Amino acid sequence: MKRILGCAVIAMFLGASPLLAKSVEGNEYGKGKTLYRNKCQFCHGLRGDGKGPAAEPLLGHPVNFTNSKFWQDDVEKKIEKTIKKGKEMMPAFDLEPDETKAIIWYMSRTFKKAAQNNN
Amino acid sequence: MIRKKLRKLFFLLVVLELLRLLPLNTAQAVPSFARQTGMRCSECHTVFPELTPFGRIFKLGGYVLGKSGKPYEFPPPLAGMAQASYTESKGLTSGVAPFDSIHRATDRINLPQQLSLFYGGRIFDKIGGFVQGTYDGVSNKIFLDMIDIRYSNNTIVWGKNLIYGLSLNNSPTAQDVWNTTPAWGFPFASSGVASTPAAGTIIDGALDRQVGGIGAYVFWNNFIYLEGTVYRTTRSGITKPLGAGTATGQVVDGAAPYWRLALEHRWKNHFLTIGTYGMQADIFPSGNRSGPADSFTDIAFDAQYQYMGTMGAEHMQEQMQMDGGHMAKAGKHIITAHATWIHENQDWKASFPLGNTGNPADFLNTFRMNLNYYHTSRLGDIGGSVGYFSTTGKTDRLLYSSIPVDGSRTGSPNSDGFILETDYRPGEKIKISLQYIIYNKFNGVHSDYDGFGRNASDNNTLYALVWFMF
Repeated sequence: MKRILGCAVIAMFLGASPLLAKSVEGNEYGKGKTLYRNKCQFCHGLRGDGKGPAAEPLLGHPVNFTNSKFWQDDVEKKIEKTIKKGKEMMPAFDLEPDETKAIIWYMSRTFKKAAQNNN
Repeated sequence: MIRKKLRKLFFLLVVLELLRLLPLNTAQAVPSFARQTGMRCSECHTVFPELTPFGRIFKLGGYVLGKSGKPYEFPPPLAGMAQASYTESKGLTSGVAPFDSIHRATDRINLPQQLSLFYGGRIFDKIGGFVQGTYDGVSNKIFLDMIDIRYSNNTIVWGKNLIYGLSLNNSPTAQDVWNTTPAWGFPFASSGVASTPAAGTIIDGALDRQVGGIGAYVFWNNFIYLEGTVYRTTRSGITKPLGAGTATGQVVDGAAPYWRLALEHRWKNHFLTIGTYGMQADIFPSGNRSGPADSFTDIAFDAQYQYMGTMGAEHMQEQMQMDGGHMAKAGKHIITAHATWIHENQDWKASFPLGNTGNPADFLNTFRMNLNYYHTSRLGDIGGSVGYFSTTGKTDRLLYSSIPVDGSRTGSPNSDGFILETDYRPGEKIKISLQYIIYNKFNGVHSDYDGFGRNASDNNTLYALVWFMF
C-alpha cells in the first residue's frame, strides 16, 4: 500500500512538474507583461515596434524590438544594462533584478517571435 | 581666538552645505515629476510651465510614467514653489505684502507673492495627480489651488495608439495640455496687485475653484484629442472639497458641460495644433443660491505652433556632451505661438429683472495671441514673449458702472493692449521674468475711462518676478 502511495506521489510530482514550470513561466510572463506595459510601452509601444504614444513627441527613435537586428549578440545583457543605466533619451529605471528579468522574459517571448516572423 | 576661528569655519561649512543642498540644477534635488521619471524638467517644459510635446503626453498619460517598478511612489512625489515679485503701476503702495496688513492688496513688493506645495506624480498604478495647495501673499490666505487627478491607460485602435482617461479637476481648462486655453495660457504669471480690466468670460478664470468636475478624454494617433467634462458647484455636495479655502462667489446651478476638440500635426520638429473648446453654465446672480440663474455659453477656438529646435538624434550628441552625459535637453531654439478667441453669450435671465444689468443679454469676445522665443545655452535659457490681448463686447452701463480705477465711464467692456516679457532661466528650477503690460483701452476708452480722470495708460504695469521650483 505504501509503495503504491509512494509511486502515486512520485507520478503526481512528475506529472505536475511541467505544469508547475509552466505556471512559473506564466507568472514570469505576466509580471513582465505588466511591467513592460507600465514602464516601457509608452515609448516602445504595446507591440514593441518603437511607436508608443510618447515616441513621436520625444523626437527620438525608441528602439524597435520587432527588428531582428535588435536580437543579435548578447541582447539580454544589453537590455539589462540599458534598463539599469539608461541610454540616450531613456532614463535609468530603479527596477529589482527579478523585475528586469521578467521584462526581458516577456520581451523575448513576445517581440523576438515577431522579429523572427518579420524576417 | 581659536574658538572664534573654529566658529567661523563651522559657519562657513554650514553655509557651503546649505548651498550644496540647494536644488539649483542638481539631478538629485528636482521637482517631483522629474524625480519620478528620472528625466530633466526640460523634457516636459520649454520654459515652465509651458509644455513640450512630450510634456503633453506625460500629462495625458496621467502623470504616472516613472522609473520605479512599484505601483506607488516612495517617498511621495512632493514639490514646492515660491514666487516673489515687484510691481510698478500708478496708485500702488510702498509696503511689503503680506507683512503690511493695511495696504496688502496694493503693495508693490510681494514677498512671497505665492508659495505652493504640490503633490505631483503617481498616486497608485495608473492613477496620478497634480494637486496644488497655495498660500497667496496678497490675500494672505491658504487654499486648495489647481487640482487634476487622472486615471489613464492606452491601447491600439485602428493600428494606432489611443490614450484614454478620466480627469477630476477644479478649474475648467486646468486639464488641458496646450498652452492656449486660459488656465495655462500666456502670461504664465502676472501681478497680484495691478488693476486688470473688469470684463472676462466665465471660462477665462472666473470659475477657477468655483466648480469641480469629472471628464473623459481620448487622444488617438497623437492627432485627435476629444474631451467632455461635467462640472458642478464647489459650494456644497461631493465637489465641495475641491474648492477648499476659496469663497464660492459664482454658484453654478446644476451641471455645466465643458467640451474640447483638438487636432495636432507634426512635421519634423514642428507641431501645429488647432482646436475648439467651450462650456455652458447657469450661474446664480451674486448673493443668490437658488431661484432663476443667468445663462452663459462660451465657444472658443485656439491654435498653437511649436518649433522644438534641433532636439532629437541630430542634436542629442552635442547636448549630452554639454550636460556631462545626462539626459538630452531641448534644442537650442524653441519658438511657440499661441492664439485663442473666446465668444461668450450672456443671457441675464435672472440679473436683468433684478436690475443688475442694463440689457437682457450681452456678449463678450476675447482674443489673445503671443509669440515666445527661447534660446538654450550653457548659461541657461533666455527668451521672451510678445503678446496682444483684446476684449470687446456690448455696452452695459449697469454691468460696467462708473467707479474709481476698476469702473467704466462709458459702460463698455472693451480693453486691449500688449504684453512684453523677457525670461531668464539660469537653472532648471528658477525663472526670472520681467513683464510690461501696455494698455491701449481699459474698460471702454483710452482717456478718463473710469470717469474719475484715470487713463488706460495709468494701468501700464511693470512686473518683475523670481519664480523658484524645488
